[in-house]
Amino acid sequence: MSSDQIIVVSIAGLYLIACLAVGMIPAKRSSDSAEGFVAGDRAMGGVMMYFITGATIFSAFAFLGMPGHAYSRGVFACYVLGYGALGFVPFYFLGPRAARVGRRYGFVTQAEMVAHRFRSPRVALLMAAITVYALVPYIAIQMRGAGLVLNATSGGAIPNWAGSGLVYTVVLIYVLRSGVLGVGWTNTFQGILMMVLAWILGLYLPHALHGGVREMFDELAAKNPDMLRAPGLASAKEPALHVIERAGPGSWAGYTSGVLISILGFCCWPQLFMRAFSAKSERVLRRTVVLYPTFQIFLVPILLIGFAGINFEKLPAKADQVLPHLLMSLDLSPLIVGLFCAGALAASMSSGDALVHTAASVTVRDGYVTGLRRKLGPHDERRWIRVMIVVVMLGSYALERTYQGDIVSLLLLAYGPIAQFLPVLVATLYWRRATAAGIGAGLVSGVGLSLLIKTGVIEGLGVHEGLWGLGLNVVALVAVSLTTFREGEEGEEFLRVASTEPSEA
Amino acid sequence: MSRLPHVLYGLFALLCLTALVWPVYAWVGERIEPRILGLPFAFAWNVIWVAASFLALVAYDRTLERRRRA
Repeated sequence: MSSDQIIVVSIAGLYLIACLAVGMIPAKRSSDSAEGFVAGDRAMGGVMMYFITGATIFSAFAFLGMPGHAYSRGVFACYVLGYGALGFVPFYFLGPRAARVGRRYGFVTQAEMVAHRFRSPRVALLMAAITVYALVPYIAIQMRGAGLVLNATSGGAIPNWAGSGLVYTVVLIYVLRSGVLGVGWTNTFQGILMMVLAWILGLYLPHALHGGVREMFDELAAKNPDMLRAPGLASAKEPALHVIERAGPGSWAGYTSGVLISILGFCCWPQLFMRAFSAKSERVLRRTVVLYPTFQIFLVPILLIGFAGINFEKLPAKADQVLPHLLMSLDLSPLIVGLFCAGALAASMSSGDALVHTAASVTVRDGYVTGLRRKLGPHDERRWIRVMIVVVMLGSYALERTYQGDIVSLLLLAYGPIAQFLPVLVATLYWRRATAAGIGAGLVSGVGLSLLIKTGVIEGLGVHEGLWGLGLNVVALVAVSLTTFREGEEGEEFLRVASTEPSEA
Repeated sequence: MSRLPHVLYGLFALLCLTALVWPVYAWVGERIEPRILGLPFAFAWNVIWVAASFLALVAYDRTLERRRRA
Protein backbone atom coordinates (compact mmCIF):
# COMPACT_ATOMS: atom_id res chain seq x y z
CA MET A 1 0.00 0.00 0.00
CA SER A 2 1.17 3.56 -0.71
CA SER A 3 1.37 6.12 2.11
CA ASP A 4 -1.85 7.74 0.84
CA GLN A 5 -3.67 4.40 0.99
CA ILE A 6 -2.34 3.84 4.51
CA ILE A 7 -3.86 7.20 5.55
CA VAL A 8 -7.21 6.24 3.94
CA VAL A 9 -7.28 2.83 5.63
CA SER A 10 -6.27 4.40 8.96
CA ILE A 11 -9.20 6.84 8.82
CA ALA A 12 -11.55 3.93 8.07
CA GLY A 13 -9.99 2.01 11.00
CA LEU A 14 -10.47 4.97 13.37
CA TYR A 15 -14.06 5.26 12.24
CA LEU A 16 -14.70 1.55 12.96
CA ILE A 17 -13.15 1.88 16.44
CA ALA A 18 -15.34 4.94 17.11
CA CYS A 19 -18.45 2.97 16.02
CA LEU A 20 -17.53 0.11 18.30
CA ALA A 21 -17.03 2.46 21.26
CA VAL A 22 -20.30 4.33 20.63
CA GLY A 23 -22.22 1.08 20.11
CA MET A 24 -20.98 -0.43 23.38
CA ILE A 25 -21.94 2.53 25.60
CA PRO A 26 -25.66 1.71 25.96
CA ALA A 27 -25.07 -1.97 26.79
CA LYS A 28 -26.23 -1.58 30.39
CA ARG A 29 -28.96 0.98 29.75
CA SER A 30 -31.79 -1.40 28.84
CA SER A 31 -33.40 -4.15 30.88
CA ASP A 32 -32.21 -7.74 30.52
CA SER A 33 -35.35 -8.79 28.61
CA ALA A 34 -36.49 -9.21 25.02
CA GLU A 35 -38.41 -5.92 25.32
CA GLY A 36 -35.21 -4.14 26.39
CA PHE A 37 -33.14 -5.76 23.63
CA VAL A 38 -35.70 -5.34 20.81
CA ALA A 39 -37.63 -2.18 21.77
CA GLY A 40 -35.18 -0.39 24.11
CA ASP A 41 -37.79 -0.61 26.92
CA ARG A 42 -39.96 1.76 24.79
CA ALA A 43 -37.86 4.72 25.94
CA MET A 44 -36.22 6.15 22.79
CA GLY A 45 -36.13 9.93 22.69
CA GLY A 46 -36.59 12.30 19.74
CA VAL A 47 -32.97 12.68 18.57
CA MET A 48 -32.28 8.95 18.53
CA MET A 49 -35.59 8.18 16.81
CA TYR A 50 -34.80 10.77 14.14
CA PHE A 51 -31.41 9.28 13.34
CA ILE A 52 -32.31 5.62 13.74
CA THR A 53 -35.12 6.15 11.22
CA GLY A 54 -33.18 8.32 8.79
CA ALA A 55 -29.89 6.43 8.93
CA THR A 56 -31.64 3.06 8.62
CA ILE A 57 -33.25 4.20 5.37
CA PHE A 58 -30.06 5.64 3.87
CA SER A 59 -28.09 2.55 3.18
CA ALA A 60 -25.09 1.65 1.06
CA PHE A 61 -27.58 1.72 -1.81
CA ALA A 62 -28.31 5.40 -1.17
CA PHE A 63 -24.63 6.34 -0.91
CA LEU A 64 -23.44 4.28 -3.90
CA GLY A 65 -26.58 3.29 -5.83
CA MET A 66 -28.29 6.68 -6.06
CA PRO A 67 -25.28 8.46 -7.63
CA GLY A 68 -25.16 5.47 -10.00
CA HIS A 69 -28.85 5.95 -10.85
CA ALA A 70 -28.35 9.67 -11.56
CA TYR A 71 -25.21 8.85 -13.57
CA SER A 72 -26.93 6.30 -15.81
CA ARG A 73 -30.57 7.48 -15.85
CA GLY A 74 -30.45 11.21 -15.16
CA VAL A 75 -33.52 12.80 -13.59
CA PHE A 76 -35.25 9.39 -13.26
CA ALA A 77 -33.25 9.05 -10.04
CA CYS A 78 -35.28 11.94 -8.56
CA TYR A 79 -38.15 9.49 -7.96
CA VAL A 80 -36.45 8.92 -4.61
CA LEU A 81 -37.26 12.53 -3.66
CA GLY A 82 -40.77 12.17 -5.06
CA TYR A 83 -41.76 9.23 -2.91
CA GLY A 84 -39.89 10.64 0.08
CA ALA A 85 -42.25 13.63 0.11
CA LEU A 86 -45.14 11.43 1.27
CA GLY A 87 -43.61 8.01 1.93
CA PHE A 88 -43.49 8.23 5.71
CA VAL A 89 -46.85 10.01 6.12
CA PRO A 90 -48.92 6.78 6.61
CA PHE A 91 -46.77 6.11 9.68
CA TYR A 92 -47.98 9.41 11.21
CA PHE A 93 -51.37 7.74 11.56
CA LEU A 94 -50.44 4.05 11.94
CA GLY A 95 -47.44 4.52 14.27
CA PRO A 96 -49.19 6.02 17.33
CA ARG A 97 -51.98 3.42 17.13
CA ALA A 98 -49.42 0.62 16.95
CA ALA A 99 -47.54 2.16 19.89
CA ARG A 100 -50.72 2.16 22.04
CA VAL A 101 -51.51 -1.51 21.48
CA GLY A 102 -47.80 -2.31 21.76
CA ARG A 103 -47.65 -0.82 25.25
CA ARG A 104 -50.89 -2.47 26.30
CA TYR A 105 -50.16 -5.98 25.00
CA GLY A 106 -46.33 -5.99 24.97
CA PHE A 107 -45.74 -6.22 21.20
CA VAL A 108 -42.30 -5.51 19.77
CA THR A 109 -42.95 -6.58 16.14
CA GLN A 110 -45.70 -5.82 13.63
CA ALA A 111 -46.56 -9.48 12.93
CA GLU A 112 -47.27 -10.31 16.57
CA MET A 113 -49.61 -7.29 16.66
CA VAL A 114 -51.53 -8.60 13.63
CA ALA A 115 -51.52 -12.17 14.94
CA HIS A 116 -52.92 -11.04 18.31
CA ARG A 117 -55.74 -8.98 16.81
CA PHE A 118 -56.87 -11.88 14.59
CA ARG A 119 -55.76 -14.77 16.83
CA SER A 120 -53.87 -16.18 13.87
CA PRO A 121 -50.34 -17.55 14.43
CA ARG A 122 -50.23 -18.55 10.76
CA VAL A 123 -50.36 -14.88 9.72
CA ALA A 124 -47.36 -14.19 12.00
CA LEU A 125 -45.48 -17.10 10.45
CA LEU A 126 -46.24 -15.87 6.92
CA MET A 127 -45.21 -12.28 7.73
CA ALA A 128 -42.03 -13.53 9.43
CA ALA A 129 -41.11 -15.62 6.38
CA ILE A 130 -41.67 -12.66 4.01
CA THR A 131 -39.66 -10.38 6.31
CA VAL A 132 -36.63 -12.69 6.58
CA TYR A 133 -36.77 -13.39 2.83
CA ALA A 134 -36.70 -9.62 2.19
CA LEU A 135 -34.07 -8.68 4.76
CA VAL A 136 -31.31 -11.26 4.16
CA PRO A 137 -30.47 -10.06 0.59
CA TYR A 138 -30.77 -6.49 1.88
CA ILE A 139 -28.10 -7.24 4.53
CA ALA A 140 -25.93 -9.02 1.93
CA ILE A 141 -26.03 -5.87 -0.24
CA GLN A 142 -24.85 -3.74 2.70
CA MET A 143 -21.99 -6.19 3.27
CA ARG A 144 -21.03 -6.13 -0.39
CA GLY A 145 -21.05 -2.31 -0.34
CA ALA A 146 -18.69 -2.22 2.66
CA GLY A 147 -16.29 -4.69 0.99
CA LEU A 148 -16.31 -2.75 -2.31
CA VAL A 149 -15.59 0.58 -0.63
CA LEU A 150 -12.66 -0.71 1.42
CA ASN A 151 -11.29 -2.57 -1.59
CA ALA A 152 -11.51 0.48 -3.88
CA THR A 153 -10.08 3.00 -1.42
CA SER A 154 -7.22 0.73 -0.32
CA GLY A 155 -6.16 0.25 -3.93
CA GLY A 156 -7.12 -3.43 -3.77
CA ALA A 157 -4.98 -4.15 -0.68
CA ILE A 158 -8.05 -5.16 1.35
CA PRO A 159 -9.94 -7.90 -0.52
CA ASN A 160 -13.75 -7.67 -0.63
CA TRP A 161 -14.26 -10.70 1.64
CA ALA A 162 -11.97 -9.29 4.33
CA GLY A 163 -13.46 -5.78 4.15
CA SER A 164 -17.07 -6.88 4.51
CA GLY A 165 -16.06 -9.47 7.14
CA LEU A 166 -14.20 -6.90 9.25
CA VAL A 167 -16.89 -4.21 9.08
CA TYR A 168 -19.68 -6.64 9.95
CA THR A 169 -17.71 -8.16 12.81
CA VAL A 170 -17.79 -4.68 14.38
CA VAL A 171 -21.56 -4.52 13.73
CA LEU A 172 -22.02 -7.99 15.21
CA ILE A 173 -20.21 -7.02 18.42
CA TYR A 174 -22.19 -3.89 19.21
CA VAL A 175 -25.58 -5.30 18.14
CA LEU A 176 -25.04 -8.41 20.29
CA ARG A 177 -23.89 -6.36 23.23
CA SER A 178 -26.35 -3.45 23.14
CA GLY A 179 -29.36 -4.51 21.02
CA VAL A 180 -31.54 -1.77 19.59
CA LEU A 181 -29.90 0.91 21.75
CA GLY A 182 -26.51 0.02 20.21
CA VAL A 183 -28.15 0.44 16.79
CA GLY A 184 -29.68 3.77 17.89
CA TRP A 185 -26.49 5.28 19.31
CA THR A 186 -24.30 4.27 16.35
CA ASN A 187 -26.98 5.41 13.88
CA THR A 188 -26.94 8.86 15.48
CA PHE A 189 -23.15 9.06 15.05
CA GLN A 190 -23.28 7.57 11.52
CA GLY A 191 -26.23 9.74 10.44
CA ILE A 192 -24.41 12.97 11.34
CA LEU A 193 -21.27 11.75 9.53
CA MET A 194 -23.24 10.79 6.41
CA MET A 195 -25.14 14.08 6.21
CA VAL A 196 -21.98 16.19 6.54
CA LEU A 197 -20.02 14.11 4.01
CA ALA A 198 -22.87 13.98 1.50
CA TRP A 199 -23.07 17.78 1.39
CA ILE A 200 -19.27 18.20 1.23
CA LEU A 201 -18.88 15.70 -1.64
CA GLY A 202 -22.10 16.74 -3.38
CA LEU A 203 -20.98 20.34 -3.61
CA TYR A 204 -17.25 19.67 -4.05
CA LEU A 205 -17.39 17.24 -7.00
CA PRO A 206 -19.57 19.43 -9.31
CA HIS A 207 -17.23 22.31 -8.45
CA ALA A 208 -14.04 20.31 -9.07
CA LEU A 209 -15.27 18.78 -12.34
CA HIS A 210 -17.43 21.55 -13.82
CA GLY A 211 -16.83 24.76 -11.86
CA GLY A 212 -20.12 24.56 -9.90
CA VAL A 213 -23.64 23.10 -9.84
CA ARG A 214 -25.09 25.66 -12.28
CA GLU A 215 -22.19 25.19 -14.72
CA MET A 216 -22.53 21.41 -14.49
CA PHE A 217 -26.20 21.52 -15.47
CA ASP A 218 -25.44 24.07 -18.23
CA GLU A 219 -23.08 21.53 -19.75
CA LEU A 220 -25.56 18.67 -19.33
CA ALA A 221 -28.39 20.74 -20.85
CA ALA A 222 -26.21 21.21 -23.93
CA LYS A 223 -24.83 17.67 -24.21
CA ASN A 224 -27.38 15.37 -22.51
CA PRO A 225 -30.75 17.21 -22.39
CA ASP A 226 -32.77 13.97 -22.25
CA MET A 227 -31.19 13.16 -18.91
CA LEU A 228 -32.60 16.39 -17.44
CA ARG A 229 -36.17 15.88 -18.65
CA ALA A 230 -38.62 13.67 -16.77
CA PRO A 231 -38.80 10.72 -16.56
CA GLY A 232 -35.12 10.50 -17.51
CA LEU A 233 -33.75 7.39 -19.15
CA ALA A 234 -34.62 3.70 -18.96
CA SER A 235 -32.34 1.31 -17.10
CA ALA A 236 -28.82 1.32 -18.58
CA LYS A 237 -27.28 -1.83 -19.97
CA GLU A 238 -23.99 -2.92 -18.46
CA PRO A 239 -22.94 -5.83 -20.69
CA ALA A 240 -19.29 -5.69 -19.62
CA LEU A 241 -17.00 -3.68 -17.41
CA HIS A 242 -16.37 -0.12 -18.66
CA VAL A 243 -19.14 -0.44 -21.29
CA ILE A 244 -22.17 1.32 -19.81
CA GLU A 245 -24.73 1.88 -22.53
CA ARG A 246 -27.27 4.56 -21.69
CA ALA A 247 -30.78 3.61 -22.77
CA GLY A 248 -33.64 5.55 -24.36
CA PRO A 249 -36.37 7.45 -22.47
CA GLY A 250 -37.81 5.81 -19.34
CA SER A 251 -41.47 4.74 -19.12
CA TRP A 252 -44.06 6.82 -17.29
CA ALA A 253 -45.95 3.68 -16.21
CA GLY A 254 -42.80 2.37 -14.52
CA TYR A 255 -41.96 5.76 -12.97
CA THR A 256 -45.45 6.51 -11.66
CA SER A 257 -46.17 3.05 -10.30
CA GLY A 258 -42.68 2.96 -8.73
CA VAL A 259 -43.35 6.23 -6.86
CA LEU A 260 -46.82 5.04 -5.79
CA ILE A 261 -45.72 1.63 -4.50
CA SER A 262 -42.80 3.22 -2.66
CA ILE A 263 -45.14 5.67 -0.92
CA LEU A 264 -47.59 2.91 -0.01
CA GLY A 265 -45.03 0.31 1.05
CA PHE A 266 -42.34 2.48 2.62
CA CYS A 267 -43.42 2.40 6.27
CA CYS A 268 -44.25 -1.33 6.09
CA TRP A 269 -40.60 -2.37 6.19
CA PRO A 270 -40.39 -4.07 9.60
CA GLN A 271 -37.16 -2.30 10.60
CA LEU A 272 -39.09 1.00 10.32
CA PHE A 273 -42.49 -0.08 11.59
CA MET A 274 -40.96 -1.67 14.70
CA ARG A 275 -39.75 1.79 15.75
CA ALA A 276 -43.37 2.43 16.79
CA PHE A 277 -42.72 0.05 19.68
CA SER A 278 -39.43 1.71 20.69
CA ALA A 279 -40.49 5.36 20.97
CA LYS A 280 -40.80 7.00 24.38
CA SER A 281 -44.09 8.69 23.46
CA GLU A 282 -46.49 9.27 20.60
CA ARG A 283 -45.22 12.84 20.37
CA VAL A 284 -41.72 11.50 19.61
CA LEU A 285 -43.14 9.21 16.91
CA ARG A 286 -45.10 11.99 15.23
CA ARG A 287 -42.12 14.36 15.33
CA THR A 288 -39.95 11.69 13.68
CA VAL A 289 -42.39 11.52 10.77
CA VAL A 290 -42.72 15.31 10.55
CA LEU A 291 -38.92 15.79 10.48
CA TYR A 292 -38.20 12.93 8.08
CA PRO A 293 -38.12 15.15 4.90
CA THR A 294 -35.14 17.02 6.43
CA PHE A 295 -33.23 13.73 6.16
CA GLN A 296 -34.61 13.23 2.66
CA ILE A 297 -33.04 16.48 1.45
CA PHE A 298 -29.66 14.88 2.05
CA LEU A 299 -30.27 12.91 -1.14
CA VAL A 300 -29.94 16.11 -3.19
CA PRO A 301 -26.12 16.28 -2.90
CA ILE A 302 -25.96 12.49 -3.37
CA LEU A 303 -27.76 12.90 -6.72
CA LEU A 304 -25.50 15.83 -7.68
CA ILE A 305 -22.51 13.47 -7.37
CA GLY A 306 -24.02 11.17 -10.00
CA PHE A 307 -24.78 14.07 -12.38
CA ALA A 308 -21.19 15.32 -11.91
CA GLY A 309 -19.82 12.05 -13.32
CA ILE A 310 -21.99 11.87 -16.47
CA ASN A 311 -19.43 13.34 -18.86
CA PHE A 312 -16.31 12.29 -16.94
CA GLU A 313 -13.73 10.98 -19.41
CA LYS A 314 -12.86 7.73 -17.64
CA LEU A 315 -15.89 5.46 -17.27
CA PRO A 316 -16.51 3.65 -13.98
CA ALA A 317 -16.59 -0.17 -14.10
CA LYS A 318 -20.27 -0.08 -13.13
CA ALA A 319 -22.74 2.77 -12.67
CA ASP A 320 -22.97 2.28 -8.90
CA GLN A 321 -19.20 2.68 -8.59
CA VAL A 322 -19.27 6.22 -9.98
CA LEU A 323 -18.60 7.91 -6.61
CA PRO A 324 -15.51 5.90 -5.55
CA HIS A 325 -14.37 6.00 -9.19
CA LEU A 326 -14.50 9.82 -9.29
CA LEU A 327 -12.72 10.13 -5.96
CA MET A 328 -9.95 7.73 -6.92
CA SER A 329 -9.50 9.38 -10.34
CA LEU A 330 -9.22 12.96 -9.15
CA ASP A 331 -5.97 12.75 -7.21
CA LEU A 332 -7.67 14.06 -4.09
CA SER A 333 -6.17 14.42 -0.64
CA PRO A 334 -6.16 11.03 1.15
CA LEU A 335 -7.98 12.77 3.99
CA ILE A 336 -11.02 13.41 1.74
CA VAL A 337 -10.91 9.87 0.33
CA GLY A 338 -10.64 8.48 3.89
CA LEU A 339 -13.63 10.54 5.01
CA PHE A 340 -15.63 9.32 2.01
CA CYS A 341 -14.69 5.77 2.97
CA ALA A 342 -15.94 6.38 6.53
CA GLY A 343 -19.18 7.93 5.19
CA ALA A 344 -19.88 5.02 2.86
CA LEU A 345 -19.17 2.51 5.63
CA ALA A 346 -21.53 4.51 7.88
CA ALA A 347 -24.26 4.20 5.23
CA SER A 348 -23.73 0.45 4.99
CA MET A 349 -23.51 -0.17 8.74
CA SER A 350 -26.37 2.12 9.78
CA SER A 351 -28.78 0.06 7.69
CA GLY A 352 -27.07 -3.31 8.13
CA ASP A 353 -27.18 -3.21 11.94
CA ALA A 354 -30.90 -2.39 12.07
CA LEU A 355 -31.70 -5.04 9.44
CA VAL A 356 -29.77 -7.78 11.25
CA HIS A 357 -31.40 -6.86 14.55
CA THR A 358 -34.87 -6.84 12.96
CA ALA A 359 -34.45 -10.13 11.07
CA ALA A 360 -33.28 -11.91 14.23
CA SER A 361 -36.04 -10.43 16.41
CA VAL A 362 -38.73 -11.32 13.86
CA THR A 363 -37.47 -14.89 13.49
CA VAL A 364 -37.69 -15.51 17.25
CA ARG A 365 -40.73 -13.40 18.22
CA ASP A 366 -42.92 -13.87 15.14
CA GLY A 367 -41.67 -17.18 13.81
CA TYR A 368 -40.87 -19.24 16.89
CA VAL A 369 -42.89 -17.72 19.76
CA THR A 370 -46.02 -16.40 17.98
CA GLY A 371 -46.11 -18.51 14.81
CA LEU A 372 -45.15 -21.88 16.29
CA ARG A 373 -46.63 -21.08 19.74
CA ARG A 374 -43.50 -22.02 21.68
CA LYS A 375 -43.03 -20.53 25.12
CA LEU A 376 -39.80 -18.72 26.00
CA GLY A 377 -38.99 -16.71 29.13
CA PRO A 378 -37.78 -13.09 28.65
CA HIS A 379 -34.12 -14.02 29.23
CA ASP A 380 -34.33 -17.05 26.94
CA GLU A 381 -35.92 -14.90 24.25
CA ARG A 382 -33.10 -12.39 24.48
CA ARG A 383 -30.56 -15.22 24.31
CA TRP A 384 -32.23 -16.77 21.24
CA ILE A 385 -32.45 -13.41 19.48
CA ARG A 386 -28.69 -13.05 20.03
CA VAL A 387 -28.11 -16.53 18.61
CA MET A 388 -30.24 -15.61 15.59
CA ILE A 389 -28.27 -12.38 15.09
CA VAL A 390 -25.16 -14.53 14.58
CA VAL A 391 -27.06 -16.94 12.31
CA VAL A 392 -28.56 -14.12 10.18
CA MET A 393 -25.19 -12.41 9.94
CA LEU A 394 -23.43 -15.62 8.83
CA GLY A 395 -26.24 -16.50 6.41
CA SER A 396 -26.11 -13.04 4.81
CA TYR A 397 -22.32 -13.19 4.58
CA ALA A 398 -22.53 -16.63 2.94
CA LEU A 399 -25.09 -15.29 0.44
CA GLU A 400 -22.87 -12.29 -0.32
CA ARG A 401 -19.83 -14.49 -0.89
CA THR A 402 -21.39 -17.41 -2.77
CA TYR A 403 -24.41 -16.15 -4.75
CA GLN A 404 -23.31 -15.84 -8.37
CA GLY A 405 -26.35 -13.89 -9.57
CA ASP A 406 -27.27 -10.31 -8.87
CA ILE A 407 -28.25 -9.86 -5.21
CA VAL A 408 -30.07 -6.61 -6.10
CA SER A 409 -32.46 -8.70 -8.21
CA LEU A 410 -33.20 -10.87 -5.18
CA LEU A 411 -33.91 -7.76 -3.14
CA LEU A 412 -36.17 -6.32 -5.85
CA LEU A 413 -38.19 -9.54 -5.71
CA ALA A 414 -38.95 -8.71 -2.06
CA TYR A 415 -40.26 -5.14 -2.57
CA GLY A 416 -43.64 -6.23 -3.91
CA PRO A 417 -44.34 -8.70 -1.06
CA ILE A 418 -43.34 -6.22 1.69
CA ALA A 419 -45.76 -3.59 0.32
CA GLN A 420 -48.58 -6.12 0.84
CA PHE A 421 -48.30 -5.50 4.58
CA LEU A 422 -50.01 -2.09 4.23
CA PRO A 423 -53.65 -3.25 3.86
CA VAL A 424 -52.99 -5.76 6.65
CA LEU A 425 -51.69 -3.06 9.01
CA VAL A 426 -54.48 -0.62 8.14
CA ALA A 427 -57.15 -3.28 8.64
CA THR A 428 -55.54 -4.41 11.91
CA LEU A 429 -55.48 -0.92 13.39
CA TYR A 430 -58.64 0.61 11.86
CA TRP A 431 -61.17 -1.83 10.44
CA ARG A 432 -63.61 -3.44 12.85
CA ARG A 433 -65.03 -5.83 10.24
CA ALA A 434 -61.70 -7.36 9.17
CA THR A 435 -61.25 -11.09 9.85
CA ALA A 436 -58.32 -13.49 10.02
CA ALA A 437 -59.49 -15.21 6.84
CA GLY A 438 -59.66 -11.86 5.05
CA ILE A 439 -56.15 -10.88 6.20
CA GLY A 440 -54.76 -14.25 5.10
CA ALA A 441 -56.53 -14.13 1.72
CA GLY A 442 -55.32 -10.59 1.05
CA LEU A 443 -51.74 -11.34 2.01
CA VAL A 444 -51.46 -14.60 0.08
CA SER A 445 -53.14 -13.26 -3.08
CA GLY A 446 -51.19 -9.97 -3.04
CA VAL A 447 -47.81 -11.60 -2.44
CA GLY A 448 -48.58 -14.35 -4.96
CA LEU A 449 -49.61 -11.98 -7.74
CA SER A 450 -46.63 -9.66 -7.22
CA LEU A 451 -44.22 -12.60 -7.37
CA LEU A 452 -45.89 -14.04 -10.49
CA ILE A 453 -45.53 -10.71 -12.26
CA LYS A 454 -41.98 -10.11 -11.05
CA THR A 455 -40.84 -13.52 -12.22
CA GLY A 456 -42.47 -13.00 -15.64
CA VAL A 457 -45.20 -15.63 -15.36
CA ILE A 458 -47.85 -12.89 -15.79
CA GLU A 459 -47.40 -9.67 -17.78
CA GLY A 460 -47.48 -6.52 -15.60
CA LEU A 461 -47.87 -4.06 -18.52
CA GLY A 462 -44.99 -1.94 -17.23
CA VAL A 463 -46.75 -1.23 -13.92
CA HIS A 464 -44.90 -2.16 -10.71
CA GLU A 465 -45.90 -5.67 -9.62
CA GLY A 466 -46.46 -4.56 -6.02
CA LEU A 467 -49.22 -2.19 -7.16
CA TRP A 468 -51.10 -5.01 -8.94
CA GLY A 469 -50.62 -7.12 -5.82
CA LEU A 470 -51.96 -4.36 -3.58
CA GLY A 471 -55.08 -4.02 -5.72
CA LEU A 472 -55.86 -7.74 -5.49
CA ASN A 473 -54.88 -7.78 -1.82
CA VAL A 474 -57.42 -5.05 -0.91
CA VAL A 475 -60.20 -6.69 -2.95
CA ALA A 476 -59.55 -10.12 -1.39
CA LEU A 477 -59.20 -8.72 2.14
CA VAL A 478 -62.49 -6.80 1.94
CA ALA A 479 -64.46 -9.50 0.11
CA VAL A 480 -63.36 -12.38 2.34
CA SER A 481 -63.70 -10.33 5.55
CA LEU A 482 -67.28 -9.37 4.69
CA THR A 483 -68.23 -12.98 4.06
CA THR A 484 -66.53 -14.62 7.06
CA PHE A 485 -67.11 -14.66 10.78
CA ARG A 486 -65.41 -11.92 12.79
CA GLU A 487 -64.04 -12.39 16.27
CA GLY A 488 -65.91 -11.03 19.26
CA GLU A 489 -65.16 -8.57 22.05
CA GLU A 490 -61.42 -8.99 22.16
CA GLY A 491 -61.04 -7.45 18.70
CA GLU A 492 -63.30 -4.58 19.81
CA GLU A 493 -61.13 -4.01 22.86
CA PHE A 494 -57.98 -4.03 20.66
CA LEU A 495 -59.43 -1.30 18.42
CA ARG A 496 -60.61 0.69 21.44
CA VAL A 497 -57.04 0.69 22.82
CA ALA A 498 -55.65 1.62 19.38
CA SER A 499 -57.97 4.60 18.98
CA THR A 500 -57.74 6.02 22.53
CA GLU A 501 -55.12 8.76 22.78
CA PRO A 502 -53.28 8.78 26.10
CA SER A 503 -53.55 12.11 27.89
CA GLU A 504 -49.75 12.66 27.97
CA ALA A 505 -49.32 12.11 24.19
CA MET B 1 -64.40 18.93 16.82
CA SER B 2 -63.78 20.51 13.38
CA ARG B 3 -62.53 18.19 10.67
CA LEU B 4 -61.09 21.11 8.69
CA PRO B 5 -57.36 20.37 9.41
CA HIS B 6 -57.84 16.72 8.33
CA VAL B 7 -59.66 17.75 5.16
CA LEU B 8 -57.07 20.41 4.30
CA TYR B 9 -54.12 18.08 4.90
CA GLY B 10 -55.85 15.30 2.93
CA LEU B 11 -56.35 17.69 0.01
CA PHE B 12 -52.71 18.76 0.20
CA ALA B 13 -51.50 15.13 0.21
CA LEU B 14 -53.65 14.42 -2.86
CA LEU B 15 -52.31 17.51 -4.63
CA CYS B 16 -48.71 16.56 -3.74
CA LEU B 17 -49.20 13.00 -4.97
CA THR B 18 -50.72 14.23 -8.24
CA ALA B 19 -47.85 16.66 -8.75
CA LEU B 20 -45.21 13.96 -8.41
CA VAL B 21 -46.48 11.43 -10.96
CA TRP B 22 -47.92 11.22 -14.47
CA PRO B 23 -49.66 13.24 -15.98
CA VAL B 24 -48.82 16.43 -13.99
CA TYR B 25 -45.13 15.64 -13.57
CA ALA B 26 -44.94 14.58 -17.23
CA TRP B 27 -46.19 18.05 -18.18
CA VAL B 28 -43.96 20.14 -15.90
CA GLY B 29 -41.02 17.72 -15.95
CA GLU B 30 -40.51 18.26 -19.70
CA ARG B 31 -38.75 21.51 -18.85
CA ILE B 32 -35.12 22.12 -18.03
CA GLU B 33 -35.82 25.86 -17.56
CA PRO B 34 -36.45 27.78 -15.37
CA ARG B 35 -33.54 26.69 -13.22
CA ILE B 36 -33.94 26.93 -9.47
CA LEU B 37 -30.69 27.38 -7.52
CA GLY B 38 -28.94 26.00 -10.60
CA LEU B 39 -31.03 22.80 -10.65
CA PRO B 40 -33.01 21.86 -13.77
CA PHE B 41 -36.73 22.32 -13.28
CA ALA B 42 -37.61 18.59 -13.37
CA PHE B 43 -35.16 18.04 -10.48
CA ALA B 44 -36.11 21.18 -8.53
CA TRP B 45 -39.84 20.28 -8.80
CA ASN B 46 -39.26 17.23 -6.59
CA VAL B 47 -37.22 19.22 -4.07
CA ILE B 48 -39.97 21.85 -3.89
CA TRP B 49 -42.59 19.20 -3.09
CA VAL B 50 -40.42 17.60 -0.40
CA ALA B 51 -40.14 21.07 1.22
CA ALA B 52 -43.88 21.76 0.77
CA SER B 53 -44.77 18.37 2.24
CA PHE B 54 -42.58 19.09 5.26
CA LEU B 55 -44.21 22.50 5.87
CA ALA B 56 -47.73 21.11 5.41
CA LEU B 57 -47.13 18.30 7.88
CA VAL B 58 -45.58 20.72 10.39
CA ALA B 59 -48.69 22.92 10.16
CA TYR B 60 -51.04 19.93 10.46
CA ASP B 61 -49.12 18.49 13.39
CA ARG B 62 -49.01 21.80 15.26
CA THR B 63 -52.74 22.29 14.78
CA LEU B 64 -53.51 18.83 16.18
CA GLU B 65 -51.04 19.31 19.01
CA ARG B 66 -52.72 22.58 20.05
CA ARG B 67 -56.06 20.78 20.10
CA ARG B 68 -54.69 18.00 22.28
CA ARG B 69 -53.41 20.52 24.79
CA ALA B 70 -56.66 22.53 24.80
